[in-house]
Amino acid sequence: MREAVVSVSASTRNYIVRRILLLFPLLVGLSMVVFAIIHLAPGDPALAFVSEQTFDPTIVEQVRKNLGLDKPLPVQYAIWASKVARFDFGTAYTFNRKPVIELIGERLVNTVQLQALAIALSLVVAIPLGIISARRQYSIVDNLATGGAFLGLALPDFWLALMLQLLFAVRLGWLPASTAGPEAQGLEKLSYFVLPSIVLAIPTIAIFTRFMRSSMLEVIHQDYITTARAKGLAERAVIFRHALKNALVPMVTVVGNQLPRLLSGSVIIEAVFAWPGLGQLGYQAILQRDYPVILALTLLTGAAILVINVIVDILYAVLDPRITFN
Amino acid sequence: MQQTVAPPSVEFQRLARKPESQARIVWRNFRRNRLAVAGGVVVILLYLVAIFAHVLAPQDYKAFNAGMPLKPPSAQHWFGTDRQTRDVFSRVIVGSRVSLSVGLVSASMIIIIGVTLGALAGYFGGPVDNAIMRFTDIMLAIPGFFLLLTAAALFTPGLQTTMIVIGATSWMSTARLVRGEFLRVKAQDFVLAARALGAPNLRIIVRHILPNVLAVIIVQLTLWLSFAILLESGLSFLGLGAQPPTPSWGGMLADGRVNMQKAWWETVFPGMAIFITVLSFNLVGDGLRDAFDPRQRRR
Repeated sequence: MREAVVSVSASTRNYIVRRILLLFPLLVGLSMVVFAIIHLAPGDPALAFVSEQTFDPTIVEQVRKNLGLDKPLPVQYAIWASKVARFDFGTAYTFNRKPVIELIGERLVNTVQLQALAIALSLVVAIPLGIISARRQYSIVDNLATGGAFLGLALPDFWLALMLQLLFAVRLGWLPASTAGPEAQGLEKLSYFVLPSIVLAIPTIAIFTRFMRSSMLEVIHQDYITTARAKGLAERAVIFRHALKNALVPMVTVVGNQLPRLLSGSVIIEAVFAWPGLGQLGYQAILQRDYPVILALTLLTGAAILVINVIVDILYAVLDPRITFN
Repeated sequence: MQQTVAPPSVEFQRLARKPESQARIVWRNFRRNRLAVAGGVVVILLYLVAIFAHVLAPQDYKAFNAGMPLKPPSAQHWFGTDRQTRDVFSRVIVGSRVSLSVGLVSASMIIIIGVTLGALAGYFGGPVDNAIMRFTDIMLAIPGFFLLLTAAALFTPGLQTTMIVIGATSWMSTARLVRGEFLRVKAQDFVLAARALGAPNLRIIVRHILPNVLAVIIVQLTLWLSFAILLESGLSFLGLGAQPPTPSWGGMLADGRVNMQKAWWETVFPGMAIFITVLSFNLVGDGLRDAFDPRQRRR
């Protein structure tokens, strides 16, 4: 009798447990690397903290002591890591000395919304396009899609953003060039999403389409599809009921690879569109040498990426029982 | 004793002929791909432009043209002039030096670091493999552009910093790929034979395995050339790459953005330059991949 809806083999279960256990040393390693990169670089965070207020050396010295920057590096790491383990990321040096977590929370929504829309848009365009390309290999549609994907991958995204702003905002005046405040509501708010989400979607559409196409081609040439056709199934049923399901499985990894973007955002696109997201927060924090913010952002997104990778791999293993692990 | 030697058959003659070198086969396959050849020609032209930039540029890239700020393209100034009255065409030409040199140096660095780490991990396996690959996992987990920005901002920005920062933060996927290739080749009989004959590890890695992985490495190099140029232009756009007065395509885009309403030429031409450069390198990289392994040709 089957107990679970999804049954996994013992080897797969071992693999999953191993991947999850491995996460912990990786997270500790990540925190060490991030800490090392930021603290080994030349430059004085105490100066960033006092910023324009004063350059009085005694005050800078006092600030250094207060922030614990005078202690040896391993001690600083230990203090920071023990706080982080309790989810305490401290307060920012700049940004009106707000708690770091609060700052990140404010910006997180904006980045997630924009990136989720971009990824959804990519899927909506790329999956049908990939299917058509594979079904009609070397047709006009296929060749256009292949050529378009090639161009899309070579376009610098920030330049594309500028060109779209030039055309749709400056010349035609149809869409806003960048975000207004958070007060915008309804349709007006939606209009801010159009340009950045298209810019973010274009390279992703290129990647997804190419992958969907080759994945579909592989499936179409397999015996069970020939069987389905031989028994007289309609082409629609063959493609949508039989082929698509298997062709979508490898897409899980490709889409999964894009998911970290939900949290890391795009520094450069957020800068071009003045989008108040995590990418811009990071960029500002880096320019102002706001160490607690840089540390928290890199660590949190890094940790999220590690976790997402594990989830995607597990999902893939569960979805495709042919994969075995030794 | 007399021996009669049978006349060699036609088949034997064919087999006895000196086998074609792999380079020749690759070149023949590559030549057939017209787009890839076109990309290659453009790449060569771009390098020539970069080398002779100061001869080719009609004006000094720093020179001012009194009383001519933000003039549209004309016979005199093909790409117009910028806010500071400088000739945009000359600046685009001289800007190629930054992009192409950063591309070359960073991509070489990425290949050297990635291949070394991948080779060590794949060849030695065990704890060496584990240590290298876990470090790679961690580096991969830090959002790439963010890592780049942090590194670029914390050190003094400039051309050399840009080259080193891109090289030092982008080698991970190459290391993974090369490790996989080493694992595959390591398991083959000729490596076992070399080991049985007592060849030292370094010799096996360099003389026996590396030549079999070369195809992958060359394709990686071309693709990194284009990607490093994209990264450099992004950094320069954000003000963390090459510093003025050195003209760079990304930096010109950042400047031109301010006057976008009045002067489209300031943002259109430098961007076109990046696009064409990246596209050409990608075409060459794709053509090389197909030429090395026609079986794995993208369908």
